Amino acid sequence: MSEEIRDKYEAVIGLEVHAQLLTRSKMFCGCENRFGASPNSLICPVCTGQPGALPVVNRRAVELGVRAALAIGGKVHGESVFARKNYFYPDLPKGYQISQYEKPFCTDGALVVRLKSGEERRIGIQRIHFEEDAGKSMHQSAGSFVNLNRAGVPLVEIVTHPDMRNSHEAGQYLRELRTVLRYAGVCDGNMEQGNFRCDANISVRLRGAKTFGTRVELKNINSFRYVEKAIDFEIDRQIESVERGEAVRQQTRLWDSAQGVTQVMREKEEAHDYRYFPEPDLSVLVIDEAWRDRVARDMPELPEAKRRRLMADHQLSAYDAGVLTASRELADYYERVVSTSGNAKASANWVMNELLGRLNAAGKEIEGSPVPDRELAALIRKVDSAEISGKIAKVVFEEMFATGKGADAVVREKGLAQISDSSQLEAAIHKVIADNPAQTQEYRAGKIKLLGFFVGQVMKETRGQANPGMVNELVKKILDR
Amino acid sequence: MGIPLEIAGLLEGYRKKAFKPSEAVDAFLKTIEAVNPGLNAFLEVRADVARSQARALDAKQPTDGLPLFGVPVAIKDNFLVEGWKATAGSRILEGYVSPYTATSVQRLVDAGAVVIGKTNCDEFAMGSSNENSAFGPCRNPWDPARVPGGSSGGSAAAVAAGCAAISLGTDTGGSIRQPASLCGLVGVKPSYGRVSRYGVVAFASSLDQVGPFGLTTWDAARVLEVMAGHDPHDATSSRREVPRYTAGLASATLKGVRIGYAPAWLEGVEPEVRARFDEALAVLRSEGAVLCEVALPHTKYALSTYYLLAPSEASSNLARYDGVHYGLRSKDARSGEEIYTRTRGRGFGPEVKLRIMLGTYALSAGYYDAYYLRANQVRGLISGDFFGAFGKCDCIVSPTSPTTAFKLGEKTDDPLTMYLSDIFTLPVNLAGLPGLSVPCGLDSKGLPVGLQLIGRAFDEQGLFGLASAYERARGKFPLAGEKR
Amino acid sequence: MLSREEVLRIAKLARLELASEAEVALYQRRLGRVLEHVRELSSLTVSAESSVRHVPADADAFREDVVAPFPNPGALLQNAPHVQDDHFVLPAVLEPEAE
Repeated sequence: MSEEIRDKYEAVIGLEVHAQLLTRSKMFCGCENRFGASPNSLICPVCTGQPGALPVVNRRAVELGVRAALAIGGKVHGESVFARKNYFYPDLPKGYQISQYEKPFCTDGALVVRLKSGEERRIGIQRIHFEEDAGKSMHQSAGSFVNLNRAGVPLVEIVTHPDMRNSHEAGQYLRELRTVLRYAGVCDGNMEQGNFRCDANISVRLRGAKTFGTRVELKNINSFRYVEKAIDFEIDRQIESVERGEAVRQQTRLWDSAQGVTQVMREKEEAHDYRYFPEPDLSVLVIDEAWRDRVARDMPELPEAKRRRLMADHQLSAYDAGVLTASRELADYYERVVSTSGNAKASANWVMNELLGRLNAAGKEIEGSPVPDRELAALIRKVDSAEISGKIAKVVFEEMFATGKGADAVVREKGLAQISDSSQLEAAIHKVIADNPAQTQEYRAGKIKLLGFFVGQVMKETRGQANPGMVNELVKKILDR
Repeated sequence: MGIPLEIAGLLEGYRKKAFKPSEAVDAFLKTIEAVNPGLNAFLEVRADVARSQARALDAKQPTDGLPLFGVPVAIKDNFLVEGWKATAGSRILEGYVSPYTATSVQRLVDAGAVVIGKTNCDEFAMGSSNENSAFGPCRNPWDPARVPGGSSGGSAAAVAAGCAAISLGTDTGGSIRQPASLCGLVGVKPSYGRVSRYGVVAFASSLDQVGPFGLTTWDAARVLEVMAGHDPHDATSSRREVPRYTAGLASATLKGVRIGYAPAWLEGVEPEVRARFDEALAVLRSEGAVLCEVALPHTKYALSTYYLLAPSEASSNLARYDGVHYGLRSKDARSGEEIYTRTRGRGFGPEVKLRIMLGTYALSAGYYDAYYLRANQVRGLISGDFFGAFGKCDCIVSPTSPTTAFKLGEKTDDPLTMYLSDIFTLPVNLAGLPGLSVPCGLDSKGLPVGLQLIGRAFDEQGLFGLASAYERARGKFPLAGEKR
Repeated sequence: MLSREEVLRIAKLARLELASEAEVALYQRRLGRVLEHVRELSSLTVSAESSVRHVPADADAFREDVVAPFPNPGALLQNAPHVQDDHFVLPAVLEPEAE
């Protein structure tokens, strides 16, 4: 499709994210909330919908929901209502899902998202509500195999306004939402494990049009890698439809990552009648101001606030602040290095340019760094105190990363400490002068740019360990005598 | 040997070593063997289990810690008791073995009671005659050609026929009180939230309550004080302390108690029922109660309100019976879809299907506001009437049922005719209040008539006191066997 | 009185097979009967405030986030019509109805 055609249209995108909450137990029962257990082992009468079973709300799940709400600047309602969403499916043992409908616990939030252009976009968040997850059905030719371990796991559903206009904005929103939820300790944000799931509502319209086009729901975007690709494919598909004069049909489509296309899952001609009504087994959910304030007080510093603080206090660029706050663990690591070394700029450089690349290559996260923050800080202090040169420090770091040994140990073992003892240096200088009589004569005759030559020779003589600044000074002094 | 049928008699017998728990349980089991074929009160009896539990008690003594020591109890088949089947009177749960025990039952067992059997009931507790059971109707011990009432017909018949000292039922619109009335027993529906619903097959979640049947008020009070109270498994259960309901019953008085009745509400009652009711009022008055008229203007809408709310909740509660995870699965279903529709189409009886469809309709898009929402709002008006009336009186009375026990098949043609059996009991569930039925006389056919007492929320204590005082003034009430 | 189509629509929503025309007609009649009676509620004056909150105010709304495993998860599979490899099984669902 030509850019010309594409530019005639704009996409209108809204996103719905289902995020599993980091609780120990399920939403309405005491079963463990854990991924990867053997099938149908984390179940009980409640989450399997046995006759006579009743739900009881997990307080911690509500607490984490409130954290999510505050993290996106949403309004937390003092009273909200659980409701039954009634439909039949093998992985929904009760024949209804306990959710929230007319009165969710949070509305009117937003997330500010930074685009690659540097521009900021405010994405409105319509609502957040609680619900319980369904089990897992595996459809094979023989039949459907149902595992209810996941049934009853607590979720928040976060729904945006249709504020995004292209796949980049959508991708950035998802990444920022994930980071925020991870920072807040609400959700792990692991799309592959299914604890952070995204559905997109996509329509297209001619630029400048006031009305919305027909919306298509896109499901099964199960990796951050595919988000932009899936959305772009769907946008193009819809544009092509419209260009051909065919109306876009209201459908639910699935992203097929193997084929790189979206496929029809079902027609949406007949919308589901979920027959929502307030859950009679539960009382109205009360979240009073005192509770909300406690959660706000205990909230960890969120990414945007942290970035602004680091930019201001450490004079970091927006880009650097972004890299260093990609996760709370990384930001904490960085700040501990700063705190111990006293050198923010050096800390930032070392983390971004030396550590992150090596961690990536080794497939490690910051939590698994072979170089603990205090050792990196020690290394920086050695450079700052001229114990070793910056160049030598890189060699030391390489060894530290490979072996897990501390800065002191490596410097000591390899004898890499910088030589700053003037008598030692003078001895080396005298040797170099003695070994290079011609250049010595030339220098003393007036060719002062040979200073560099002598400094280089001294560095060679001392295997790079001489303190370069001192060498410079001393060579000059001695030659000028 | 003459094993007593009431709790106090049994406890005394055990203490005096007149007989042992195993002997008592054996006697009750023999009665079941003799009468159940004619009554069909029990769906499951596990004599071996009951006997072994009783034998385990033989070596022990009844203590304060075991207030139901060696008391045989029959449990309605919509309660889950681990290891026992639970059908809720339906084919769709045929063969289902309970994986856990209802809290209310566990508390009775922990107090020394012996579960003697699971009783027949209307399917999923939907009915007023026990004729909706998939396993055949239950018959009234007072006249086997007649119904015992419903939905807890089996539990009522069991106690009335001497098969158990006490039994448990559930009451959503009258399903304990009405059978108690038709079988000459005391039956109690506690306040909503007084007894845990955990482990009880849900019919209408905002209306269901667990309650006892007994031959006397004291027995019902003993059972309630053992099983009531907060349950962490039930988020609708109250944390309010449970009083010792049996304390002070012997000295409870009617003097100065203000008793209200609503004349307009009393229309449409069989003449002999009305006569027994009026006589009961006279007894109350002669014992010093002060009678006054109250207005309950919205109770006439209780039937419509109930038959929108209860089926709506039921349509959702019964969605889990789908042939996938437990219970019946239709064998000739050719697709996943048909597993659902055929299992449910064939596994549910007609009254259940009717109510599921009614509820599905009332909740469906475009009808929710006019039906479900509106019914909930009228429920509030009905509740408000009672709240207002309790400003003038401490207890409200009515006949429990407009009729005595009717014949099998008499009311099954038209759903509404059957629904009208519950006009006095329905409003009490809608208002969440406690209600008690105590026998107040017999009609000319020798069939029992019940007096309903309605109290303020969580004033079961007051109701038990009044009922007990009334019983003393009324004098002994015959047993079903005695009149033959 | 409900139309035949209405009855079939409701039966479908509720996943209830109605085995014959006679059965459809039966429910048409009975549903109609009840709905006719409940129509009386539409004449009443009601407000949002009169809606009932049936749960006692002193009920405990929450449980703490503690893992309390059910002692016998196996029993929950035992009542299933068909189990394979510890999964509940049913024949291929032709029309996925997931939300």
